[in-house]
Amino acid sequence: MPNTDREIQELLADYAGALRDGCLPTFLKSLTREEAKRIRESPDFWEATEVVRLMNSAGFGDRVLTPDVGLFISRVDAGIASRSKKAKASTRDHSRSHAHLQ
Amino acid sequence: MEPFVRSTFGIFIRHLHRYLGNEVECEDVLEDVYADIWENPDHLRAIDSEGQLLRTVYLYYMRKRLREVYRRMNRSSYLSANDMQNLVAPELGLCDLLSQTELKQVLHRMLGKLKARERKAMELWMAGMSNRAIANQLETTVGAVKMLEFRTVLKLRRMLKEYCEED
Repeated sequence: MPNTDREIQELLADYAGALRDGCLPTFLKSLTREEAKRIRESPDFWEATEVVRLMNSAGFGDRVLTPDVGLFISRVDAGIASRSKKAKASTRDHSRSHAHLQ
Repeated sequence: MEPFVRSTFGIFIRHLHRYLGNEVECEDVLEDVYADIWENPDHLRAIDSEGQLLRTVYLYYMRKRLREVYRRMNRSSYLSANDMQNLVAPELGLCDLLSQTELKQVLHRMLGKLKARERKAMELWMAGMSNRAIANQLETTVGAVKMLEFRTVLKLRRMLKEYCEED
Protein backbone atom coordinates (compact mmCIF):
# COMPACT_ATOMS: atom_id res chain seq x y z
CA MET A 1 0.00 0.00 0.00
CA PRO A 2 1.50 3.41 -0.96
CA ASN A 3 2.33 5.87 1.80
CA THR A 4 -0.21 8.70 1.56
CA ASP A 5 1.15 10.84 4.36
CA ARG A 6 4.74 11.42 3.34
CA GLU A 7 7.02 13.79 5.21
CA ILE A 8 8.86 16.44 3.23
CA GLN A 9 12.11 14.44 3.00
CA GLU A 10 10.15 11.47 1.63
CA LEU A 11 8.42 13.71 -0.90
CA LEU A 12 11.77 15.05 -2.06
CA ALA A 13 13.19 11.53 -2.34
CA ASP A 14 10.17 10.48 -4.40
CA TYR A 15 10.40 13.58 -6.63
CA ALA A 16 14.11 12.92 -7.18
CA GLY A 17 13.45 9.27 -7.98
CA ALA A 18 10.65 10.14 -10.39
CA LEU A 19 12.81 12.73 -12.17
CA ARG A 20 15.71 10.31 -12.43
CA ASP A 21 13.48 7.53 -13.75
CA GLY A 22 11.58 9.81 -16.16
CA CYS A 23 8.18 9.28 -14.55
CA LEU A 24 7.33 12.68 -13.07
CA PRO A 25 3.57 12.31 -13.85
CA THR A 26 3.40 9.30 -11.52
CA PHE A 27 4.82 11.40 -8.70
CA LEU A 28 2.46 14.29 -9.44
CA LYS A 29 -0.55 11.97 -9.47
CA SER A 30 0.52 10.29 -6.23
CA LEU A 31 0.31 13.49 -4.18
CA THR A 32 -2.51 13.79 -1.67
CA ARG A 33 -4.07 17.12 -0.77
CA GLU A 34 -2.08 17.21 2.50
CA GLU A 35 1.20 16.38 0.76
CA ALA A 36 0.63 19.07 -1.88
CA LYS A 37 0.05 21.56 0.94
CA ARG A 38 3.20 20.36 2.70
CA ILE A 39 5.20 20.95 -0.49
CA ARG A 40 3.74 24.41 -1.01
CA GLU A 41 4.65 25.47 2.52
CA SER A 42 8.19 24.12 2.56
CA PRO A 43 10.91 26.48 1.30
CA ASP A 44 13.43 23.67 1.95
CA PHE A 45 11.65 21.46 -0.57
CA TRP A 46 11.85 24.10 -3.29
CA GLU A 47 15.50 24.83 -2.59
CA ALA A 48 16.30 21.12 -2.62
CA THR A 49 14.58 20.60 -5.99
CA GLU A 50 17.10 22.98 -7.59
CA VAL A 51 19.98 20.75 -6.51
CA VAL A 52 18.14 17.56 -7.43
CA ARG A 53 17.68 18.89 -10.97
CA LEU A 54 21.37 19.73 -11.24
CA MET A 55 22.38 16.31 -9.93
CA ASN A 56 19.98 14.64 -12.29
CA SER A 57 21.48 16.58 -15.15
CA ALA A 58 25.07 15.83 -14.17
CA GLY A 59 24.39 12.16 -13.54
CA PHE A 60 21.97 11.28 -16.30
CA GLY A 61 21.82 14.22 -18.73
CA ASP A 62 24.00 12.50 -21.31
CA ARG A 63 21.52 9.68 -21.88
CA VAL A 64 19.17 12.02 -23.74
CA LEU A 65 21.57 12.56 -26.60
CA THR A 66 19.87 10.97 -29.59
CA PRO A 67 22.34 9.06 -31.75
CA ASP A 68 20.57 10.21 -34.92
CA VAL A 69 20.05 13.96 -34.78
CA GLY A 70 19.15 13.80 -38.50
CA LEU A 71 15.90 12.04 -37.67
CA PHE A 72 15.09 14.67 -35.07
CA ILE A 73 15.86 17.43 -37.60
CA SER A 74 13.44 15.89 -40.09
CA ARG A 75 10.72 16.01 -37.41
CA VAL A 76 11.52 19.67 -36.73
CA ASP A 77 11.35 20.39 -40.47
CA ALA A 78 7.98 18.63 -40.72
CA GLY A 79 6.67 20.70 -37.80
CA ILE A 80 7.88 23.91 -39.40
CA ALA A 81 6.36 22.94 -42.78
CA SER A 82 3.02 22.26 -41.10
CA ARG A 83 3.06 25.61 -39.30
CA SER A 84 3.99 27.46 -42.47
CA LYS A 85 1.15 25.70 -44.35
CA LYS A 86 -1.32 26.71 -41.65
CA ALA A 87 -0.05 30.30 -41.73
CA LYS A 88 -0.50 30.45 -45.52
CA ALA A 89 -3.99 28.95 -45.31
CA SER A 90 -5.07 31.45 -42.67
CA THR A 91 -3.70 34.38 -44.74
CA ARG A 92 -5.63 33.08 -47.77
CA ASP A 93 -8.84 32.74 -45.74
CA HIS A 94 -8.32 36.20 -44.34
CA SER A 95 -7.87 37.78 -47.82
CA ARG A 96 -10.91 35.86 -49.16
CA SER A 97 -13.16 37.11 -46.40
CA HIS A 98 -11.75 40.58 -46.96
CA ALA A 99 -12.62 40.36 -50.70
CA HIS A 100 -16.19 39.24 -49.80
CA LEU A 101 -16.63 42.29 -47.65
CA GLN A 102 -15.60 44.56 -50.52
CA MET B 1 17.59 25.80 -39.44
CA GLU B 2 19.57 22.54 -39.68
CA PRO B 3 23.02 23.95 -38.74
CA PHE B 4 21.45 25.75 -35.76
CA VAL B 5 19.70 22.57 -34.60
CA ARG B 6 22.86 20.52 -35.03
CA SER B 7 24.99 22.96 -33.05
CA THR B 8 22.51 23.50 -30.21
CA PHE B 9 20.65 20.18 -29.86
CA GLY B 10 22.97 18.76 -27.19
CA ILE B 11 22.89 21.91 -25.05
CA PHE B 12 19.13 22.34 -25.20
CA ILE B 13 18.10 18.72 -24.73
CA ARG B 14 20.36 18.30 -21.68
CA HIS B 15 18.86 21.44 -20.20
CA LEU B 16 15.31 20.20 -20.76
CA HIS B 17 16.22 16.87 -19.20
CA ARG B 18 16.79 18.69 -15.90
CA TYR B 19 13.11 19.49 -15.65
CA LEU B 20 11.47 16.48 -17.30
CA GLY B 21 13.87 13.57 -16.87
CA ASN B 22 12.25 11.79 -19.80
CA GLU B 23 13.89 11.53 -23.23
CA VAL B 24 10.67 11.33 -25.23
CA GLU B 25 9.10 14.36 -23.57
CA CYS B 26 12.36 16.30 -23.94
CA GLU B 27 12.41 15.67 -27.70
CA ASP B 28 8.74 16.58 -28.10
CA VAL B 29 9.22 19.86 -26.24
CA LEU B 30 12.41 20.65 -28.13
CA GLU B 31 10.69 20.10 -31.48
CA ASP B 32 8.18 22.81 -30.55
CA VAL B 33 10.93 25.05 -29.21
CA TYR B 34 12.80 24.95 -32.53
CA ALA B 35 9.61 25.61 -34.48
CA ASP B 36 8.87 28.58 -32.17
CA ILE B 37 12.39 29.90 -32.75
CA TRP B 38 11.90 29.54 -36.51
CA GLU B 39 8.62 31.43 -36.29
CA ASN B 40 9.93 34.21 -34.09
CA PRO B 41 13.73 34.38 -33.90
CA ASP B 42 13.88 38.02 -32.75
CA HIS B 43 15.02 37.24 -29.22
CA LEU B 44 18.08 35.45 -30.53
CA ARG B 45 19.66 38.40 -32.29
CA ALA B 46 22.92 39.68 -30.80
CA ILE B 47 23.66 36.59 -28.73
CA ASP B 48 27.37 36.28 -28.03
CA SER B 49 27.87 33.38 -25.63
CA GLU B 50 26.51 29.89 -24.94
CA GLY B 51 25.27 30.96 -21.51
CA GLN B 52 23.37 33.90 -22.98
CA LEU B 53 21.90 31.67 -25.69
CA LEU B 54 20.67 29.11 -23.16
CA ARG B 55 19.26 31.77 -20.87
CA THR B 56 17.38 33.47 -23.72
CA VAL B 57 16.06 30.23 -25.17
CA TYR B 58 14.95 29.02 -21.74
CA LEU B 59 13.19 32.25 -20.79
CA TYR B 60 11.54 33.03 -24.13
CA TYR B 61 10.89 29.64 -25.71
CA MET B 62 11.44 26.59 -23.45
CA ARG B 63 9.65 27.77 -20.33
CA LYS B 64 6.41 28.41 -22.19
CA ARG B 65 6.51 24.90 -23.67
CA LEU B 66 7.50 23.28 -20.37
CA ARG B 67 4.48 24.87 -18.68
CA GLU B 68 2.25 23.12 -21.20
CA VAL B 69 3.68 19.62 -20.70
CA TYR B 70 1.73 18.72 -17.57
CA ARG B 71 -0.94 21.43 -17.74
CA ARG B 72 -3.66 18.88 -18.31
CA MET B 73 -2.59 17.11 -15.13
CA ASN B 74 -3.81 20.05 -13.03
CA ARG B 75 -7.18 18.36 -12.93
CA SER B 76 -5.83 15.13 -11.47
CA SER B 77 -3.18 16.57 -9.15
CA TYR B 78 -3.63 18.39 -5.87
CA LEU B 79 -0.64 20.56 -6.68
CA SER B 80 -1.74 24.09 -7.57
CA ALA B 81 -1.06 25.37 -11.09
CA ASN B 82 1.56 27.70 -9.67
CA ASP B 83 3.38 24.93 -7.79
CA MET B 84 3.19 22.69 -10.82
CA GLN B 85 4.82 25.46 -12.86
CA ASN B 86 7.52 25.97 -10.22
CA LEU B 87 8.29 22.29 -10.33
CA VAL B 88 8.33 21.76 -14.09
CA ALA B 89 9.21 25.20 -15.47
CA PRO B 90 10.90 27.11 -12.65
CA GLU B 91 12.79 30.36 -12.83
CA LEU B 92 16.46 29.93 -13.58
CA GLY B 93 18.21 28.99 -10.36
CA LEU B 94 21.65 28.33 -8.98
CA CYS B 95 24.31 27.37 -11.49
CA ASP B 96 21.57 26.68 -14.06
CA LEU B 97 23.58 28.16 -16.90
CA LEU B 98 26.75 26.19 -16.28
CA SER B 99 27.74 23.93 -19.14
CA GLN B 100 27.46 20.18 -18.57
CA THR B 101 31.23 19.85 -18.10
CA GLU B 102 31.41 22.74 -15.65
CA LEU B 103 28.41 21.41 -13.72
CA LYS B 104 30.00 17.98 -13.36
CA GLN B 105 33.25 19.55 -12.15
CA VAL B 106 31.51 21.79 -9.62
CA LEU B 107 29.36 18.97 -8.25
CA HIS B 108 32.37 16.67 -8.05
CA ARG B 109 34.20 19.32 -6.04
CA MET B 110 31.21 19.88 -3.74
CA LEU B 111 30.71 16.15 -3.18
CA GLY B 112 34.35 15.97 -2.14
CA LYS B 113 33.65 18.42 0.66
CA LEU B 114 30.86 16.30 2.19
CA LYS B 115 31.21 13.81 5.02
CA ALA B 116 31.97 10.26 3.83
CA ARG B 117 28.46 8.92 4.54
CA GLU B 118 26.76 11.88 2.85
CA ARG B 119 29.01 11.60 -0.19
CA LYS B 120 28.44 7.85 -0.45
CA ALA B 121 24.63 8.30 -0.36
CA MET B 122 24.77 10.94 -3.10
CA GLU B 123 27.16 8.95 -5.28
CA LEU B 124 25.05 5.81 -5.00
CA TRP B 125 21.93 7.82 -5.87
CA MET B 126 23.67 9.29 -8.89
CA ALA B 127 24.75 5.79 -9.90
CA GLY B 128 21.05 4.97 -10.25
CA MET B 129 20.53 2.95 -7.07
CA SER B 130 17.19 2.85 -5.28
CA ASN B 131 16.86 4.17 -1.72
CA ARG B 132 16.40 0.60 -0.49
CA ALA B 133 19.66 -0.47 -2.14
CA ILE B 134 21.42 2.60 -0.70
CA ALA B 135 20.03 1.73 2.74
CA ASN B 136 21.44 -1.79 2.40
CA GLN B 137 24.84 -0.41 1.42
CA LEU B 138 24.88 2.05 4.32
CA GLU B 139 23.38 -0.53 6.69
CA THR B 140 20.51 1.67 7.73
CA THR B 141 16.79 2.13 7.05
CA VAL B 142 15.15 3.61 3.94
CA GLY B 143 13.68 6.40 6.09
CA ALA B 144 17.12 7.31 7.41
CA VAL B 145 18.50 7.38 3.85
CA LYS B 146 15.76 9.76 2.72
CA MET B 147 16.48 12.06 5.64
CA LEU B 148 20.23 11.87 4.96
CA GLU B 149 19.66 12.70 1.28
CA PHE B 150 17.38 15.61 2.13
CA ARG B 151 19.87 17.15 4.56
CA THR B 152 22.77 16.55 2.19
CA VAL B 153 20.95 18.13 -0.74
CA LEU B 154 20.26 21.23 1.37
CA LYS B 155 23.91 21.29 2.40
CA LEU B 156 24.94 21.03 -1.25
CA ARG B 157 22.64 23.90 -2.08
CA ARG B 158 24.31 26.15 0.48
CA MET B 159 27.70 25.19 -0.95
CA LEU B 160 26.55 25.82 -4.51
CA LYS B 161 25.09 29.17 -3.51
CA GLU B 162 28.42 30.21 -2.01
CA TYR B 163 30.23 29.00 -5.15
CA CYS B 164 27.89 30.92 -7.48
CA GLU B 165 28.14 34.09 -5.41
CA GLU B 166 31.95 33.88 -5.36
CA ASP B 167 31.99 33.23 -9.07
